[in-house]
Amino acid sequence: MQGVPRGFSLTHFFPLLLLLVLPARANDSLAGTWQLLAGNLPGEAAAALTTTTSADPRERALAEAVVLVARQPLTDARLLEAERRLNALAAESDEVGAAALYLAGRLHQLHFSTPDYAVAAGYFRRLAERQPASPWAQLGLVKLALLTLHVLPEPAGPAARIAAVEALLPRVTRPPLRRDLLIVLGRARLFHNLEPDRARANLLAADAIGGLTGLAAADVTLQIGELCFRAGDDARAREYLQRFMAENEADPRVFTVQQRLRAMATRKGTL
Amino acid sequence: MSQGPIRRYPGWALLAAAFLGSVFWVFTRSVPLGDDRPVTLRIAHWQIEQGPPEGIDAVIKRYEELNPRVRVKQVRIPATVYRQWLRANFSGGIAPDIVEYGAWLDGLADFPARYFEPMTTELMEPNPHNAGTPLAGRPWIKTFVDELLEQRLNSPEPGQYYAVNLTRGSVRLFCNRELLREIAGTEVPPRTLIELRQVFARTTERARRTGQPLHALAGSRDNAMWLMEYYMGGLMIRRARSLDLEGVHGVYPRHIQRAYLEGSWHFADPELQAGLAVLQDFARQMRPGFLQLGRDEAVREFLSGEALFIFAGTWDATTLRRSAPFTVAALRLPQATRDDPVVGSQVMGPFSDGDNSTSFGFYLNRRGPNRATAVDFLRFLTSYEGSRIFSANSGWVSGIAEVPVPPELAAHLSPGDGYSYGANFIFAGPHLRMAFERNLHQLVGPQGTVESMASVLEAEAPAAVRADLRIEQRTANVVVLPQDARIAALGHWMATTEAGVAARLRLERLEAAQTQSEARALMIGRWLQAAEAAGPK
Repeated sequence: MQGVPRGFSLTHFFPLLLLLVLPARANDSLAGTWQLLAGNLPGEAAAALTTTTSADPRERALAEAVVLVARQPLTDARLLEAERRLNALAAESDEVGAAALYLAGRLHQLHFSTPDYAVAAGYFRRLAERQPASPWAQLGLVKLALLTLHVLPEPAGPAARIAAVEALLPRVTRPPLRRDLLIVLGRARLFHNLEPDRARANLLAADAIGGLTGLAAADVTLQIGELCFRAGDDARAREYLQRFMAENEADPRVFTVQQRLRAMATRKGTL
Repeated sequence: MSQGPIRRYPGWALLAAAFLGSVFWVFTRSVPLGDDRPVTLRIAHWQIEQGPPEGIDAVIKRYEELNPRVRVKQVRIPATVYRQWLRANFSGGIAPDIVEYGAWLDGLADFPARYFEPMTTELMEPNPHNAGTPLAGRPWIKTFVDELLEQRLNSPEPGQYYAVNLTRGSVRLFCNRELLREIAGTEVPPRTLIELRQVFARTTERARRTGQPLHALAGSRDNAMWLMEYYMGGLMIRRARSLDLEGVHGVYPRHIQRAYLEGSWHFADPELQAGLAVLQDFARQMRPGFLQLGRDEAVREFLSGEALFIFAGTWDATTLRRSAPFTVAALRLPQATRDDPVVGSQVMGPFSDGDNSTSFGFYLNRRGPNRATAVDFLRFLTSYEGSRIFSANSGWVSGIAEVPVPPELAAHLSPGDGYSYGANFIFAGPHLRMAFERNLHQLVGPQGTVESMASVLEAEAPAAVRADLRIEQRTANVVVLPQDARIAALGHWMATTEAGVAARLRLERLEAAQTQSEARALMIGRWLQAAEAAGPK
């Protein structure tokens, strides 16, 4: 019989012990998977799913569907499979079902090689009617507004489209999403050169909700200041332009804003 | 007389000498084949002109003195292959820990979200390498002179910071000071376009008189395009302002493209013709055949004393200063003024020739094996000490606050005294730019005229602008698509756990950014639809 080699110690068995221990350390929650997906790491999320054991099956199925949508290479066949799974989940009216309906709409809005905006809008409408308070329904209403403004065949004409979106506004009750929709509405009015006063009111309402950061915040502040200047509301224009300068010292537009303030001073004889 | 052992056994003696020499070398001079430091970081960039590599090397040397466990290797990649190199290395999973990247790099819009790791948390905390310096205790982000404005503009996820920037700069007219004195009789640089044209005329006269090869401007296609970008941007400000329907005090390429397709501007417009006329005028100060030459050729021409000026970015300043056998002065390129006899009627006011925003951004490879060490190295690189070392050895102005600007570099900074509308009508998209470059001979060739150039561009632009607008739309969608999975994950995670305020804010910012990007892409789609419906322009 061969003897134990000299220098034997337990460390020689560490790899084997590790193998025995690993399954026992598998996750029993999907938190790690969601974090990886939130970090745009779908490959790692798929791997994490394989070590997750006792998560809620509906939540797990949702995570699997999201991984299907997020991983490359993405094909229409894979998206169809994702939609089938999402529709199965959407049969129940819980938060997983709401998320599934929302994502199914997004597949048709953006992910398939040929978008079908009418189908996407159908998903968002169904979700908003079924679970209006769900965060997914609220977000779906914002996406429905975008489709209505720009791509759905009806209503026709810019004014009618804007009116249809205005009608959706009371249904969007979550403040950050309401703010985003107000900005979209205001900019659509500017884009179509319709009702600049109402565009200004939309942006002011969005600013009152707050919470914007970075370039989005700078742009909205500057837009309000400039639109107020154009409308002759110099007091408010000055307030917003000065706020822009205070919050964005290194922005290359500071010089232009300074010129605007000078123009106002000349116009009114005050600054 | 008996012979000594060396004469008797010369072969053995030679062998013994070689052996002793080898022993001496091994114990005193050689380095181990393998690295004796357990952690190796790699940092890659394309700034391989003179200056930055030396600056980074000096910082690395100091960092390695402070951190005996770490080896840092600088990977220098030529700009011409950088995009392909980046794509291949990240796809293959062998990319360095830290890489330079820019949001303007064509075809790499997916990179930050896919491959880079945000450093937001670290940026909100003080940089430990600033202890005992004027920046001690300041959050890292507050130590950058512009608080990383570029990241606020271009981050794929609003509120998240993916890069730290090293430097800032501008575009300048570099001048051979001694030659200027000889030609103009003074070292006082020209301050207006009128004075500059006078110097051009004297230079031409001197070349004719002496028969020596001499031109006012070092010539190459690159330098000509930079000039074009500069003057066209300045002369189009009034038109750009008229296109700013959204009131954001600026125009993006998509606005310029839309306006063109709607017929709001043409190449026959007086502002555009004025810009083309300036370029034609400047091109005549360059040597014949400059369109076939690259920027290195222009640098060589300037360094050999065959050109009085070279117009370039401050990224070339170190190369020029270190290689020139004469004094190189960095001047602000004189701008067209309202009293200019050629283009004055199109001038609205001074325009920006550089701003104080920082650049030369370094990003963190999210799959790099040494994240903590990589962040620590970036902290040192952008610390007060690291920035001083970098600036002193590179000749580039630091992007870090309180770091003294050496007197010879002060001229590289612009005081923010000009309009900046982003109004580059000629370069509003890659296809339009290509059309312009392809036909440049129509303007600056021997038979070239402003009218023929405008006419050719008018013929080619509709297709080019449509193609560019489609790219804008695709780019907006590329940013939007991966955000769906992220929003779904964050949203569900928040609904099922106590994810906290940070996660909620992250979700709200992602949703807001996605909605605005989508709105933009859909608007562009409508513009394209309208253009298609209107038929060929």
